[in-house]
Amino acid sequence: MINEINEQEYAALDPKAAKMIEFYSKTCGPCKMLSFVLKDIARQKPEFPIYIVDFDENRELKERLGVKGFPTMLFYKEGREVSRLEGLKQKPAIITAIEALA
Amino acid sequence: MSNKIRYISEDHLITRQNRAEAEFLAAFAAEKPTFAQPQVVHNPYLINPLCALVMFTTSEAVAPTLTVHGRRYERENLSHTFKAATEHFLPVLGLYEDFANTVSVTLPDGRTTTLTIRTGKLPAEVCRCLNVQASLDYLGDAIMFLSPAGKNLPTAYDYKGDIRWLLTENTMFDIKRMKNGNIVTGSSRFCHMPYNCTGLIEINLLGKIYKEYRMPGNYHHDHLEMDNGDILALTQDFSRDTVEDMCVLLDRDSGAIKKTWDYRRVLPMNVGGSGSQDAHDWFHNNAVWYDKRSNSLTLSGRHQDAVINIDYESGDLNWIIGDPEGWPQEMVDKYFFTPVGDVANFDWQYEQHACVVCPDGDVMCFDNGQYRAKVKDKYIANRDNFSRGVRYRIDTVKMEIEQVWQYGKERGAEFFSPYICNVEYYDEGHYMIHSGGIGREHGYASPSLGAFLDMKDPNAELRSITVEEKDGVVLYQLETEGNFYRAEKLPLYHGGDNLVLGEGRLLGSLEVTEEFDTVPEAEEVFELPPSFHNLLIEEDEDRFVFHGKFEKGTLAMLCLENGDESHHYFLNTSASWHLAMCSGAFLEKDERDIKIHISKLGLHGMFAVKLIINDRKYQTGVSICCP
Repeated sequence: MINEINEQEYAALDPKAAKMIEFYSKTCGPCKMLSFVLKDIARQKPEFPIYIVDFDENRELKERLGVKGFPTMLFYKEGREVSRLEGLKQKPAIITAIEALA
Repeated sequence: MSNKIRYISEDHLITRQNRAEAEFLAAFAAEKPTFAQPQVVHNPYLINPLCALVMFTTSEAVAPTLTVHGRRYERENLSHTFKAATEHFLPVLGLYEDFANTVSVTLPDGRTTTLTIRTGKLPAEVCRCLNVQASLDYLGDAIMFLSPAGKNLPTAYDYKGDIRWLLTENTMFDIKRMKNGNIVTGSSRFCHMPYNCTGLIEINLLGKIYKEYRMPGNYHHDHLEMDNGDILALTQDFSRDTVEDMCVLLDRDSGAIKKTWDYRRVLPMNVGGSGSQDAHDWFHNNAVWYDKRSNSLTLSGRHQDAVINIDYESGDLNWIIGDPEGWPQEMVDKYFFTPVGDVANFDWQYEQHACVVCPDGDVMCFDNGQYRAKVKDKYIANRDNFSRGVRYRIDTVKMEIEQVWQYGKERGAEFFSPYICNVEYYDEGHYMIHSGGIGREHGYASPSLGAFLDMKDPNAELRSITVEEKDGVVLYQLETEGNFYRAEKLPLYHGGDNLVLGEGRLLGSLEVTEEFDTVPEAEEVFELPPSFHNLLIEEDEDRFVFHGKFEKGTLAMLCLENGDESHHYFLNTSASWHLAMCSGAFLEKDERDIKIHISKLGLHGMFAVKLIINDRKYQTGVSICCP
């Protein structure tokens, strides 16, 4: 399940739920590639929530979360960041990070 | 402009050289040239326009002496006597450019044959000598070899600043003479940005490649010959998220990797960062030295402002030379040194290159000095900075360090090189200090590395200054155009075999290039990509390189397809800024120009090359053959 969210919607998310937040930019080739990777992962793990955030339109949020570039994937559980992946990654690395939240 | 794709298929240089050698040897066998009328081949191995090969036979085994006559007077003559033989293959080295060179060969019985070998002009982009202070008394038969730091060429200059040796291949990083007289340097074959090439090449000064030592992690920066001939080479593991943090020992005969050192095992990656450090290139290993006395490796890590020493056998950390600010206290207490002696004039080295262990255990390096501090508030601007050669005396029991020599601080920013460079120890008090990375804008030291300067700007200039000092007196200074990675003073001829005939060999292996396991949805179209992309595919025997132009943010993927299988390689079209660019050989002028190397290892058969650009998959009409 992939949903695009903004800062307000981020604030409304269940803080305790395991999830991934991905920051992307429309001007970024690796981000475009990652969108296909995430689609595949969403098919494999339909129950796992993936949220995508436009880096350029949500600057306050990315500053608050310490996101320096794109794409960046933040993995959350119980309200805290467990890990993050910076740059384009392949499916196994992302799935490993997701499974580590279990 | 019509859509088209350029495709070049070329044999490896070794194969082309093997072919060229077979041709001139066949002619030699057919003609049996005499001493009076020898066979002369100019540039026999295709990449050195300032050399030739003189071939003849004699009825008795004799030892001929070959002389390349000086352009001005007899004292400039370069002579070498070769081993006795009946079939003679004499390398002619050190020809002058664009000149009718006189070359004579004399036999022990006094007979002499004199030849004229005409050379042409060198390529226009060759870096010229601007100033030289030298004498024949000082240099003797030696000339100064400079290895390129960009798209310039490996070049050697004599005492007058004349170019006497040049390769038309953009070889990489260090040039070192091995005990057998051959030269080992980085190959010119691009693999990974910013400056990783396939491996090392062992050549003679005619330019003949005896061996290319390929490495899956590629070669960068430096290498060193061990007593048994094996070679230490700097590399990395591209399957990891960090680079320039490994060293390997290569078997000299087979090219096999015999031993590996991984610095991640002994150093924290997130401390002591220099001004150029990032998480990816956290250490930036730019030099390796083996010290037999302590059976240890000394390694320069530019991005931690650190020269470290590790045990050869275990790889364990012994000590660290560097400013301890920012390092964990337990490491400072255990591994770092305390300055003693003339501490008022003591300086740590910053972003250094080319560590050398002297016979007495002292450690020298080229202290580039970029930033010259560990924290941003204290950074020194390049125009206010200095670079120098420095020699430290270390006491590894008391963990004390004393600065016993330096050259360069007094010259200030005029001698400042923020990157590359080296020092050489010749004898006590006799050193070379090569500041080859000078970049200036409007006459001031540029804030950018030389490789990034726009040389179309008339206010920008690149310079390389090589100094030799003996007992505090400068006896040699060479100033050239361009930036040069290192300097190495060598005679053209040596006491071993200056030419060994026989086929060159391609050793070791490249990596299996990482594929991408997700393929974006794209509509296959039966047309070529738009001409804007300016595509070029260069196929070699063991890999191919794809070049193209893409606007930032384009989704692009290279696909290899046949009826049975497909392989996919993601093309990163994001503009990337490298914090280190010790060789700009592979740097493109337009940041939209990208290239990707794909090894044929692991691929078998013929593959059609296709290209996904955003939501369309284009044909290229090119097929790649993988053995």
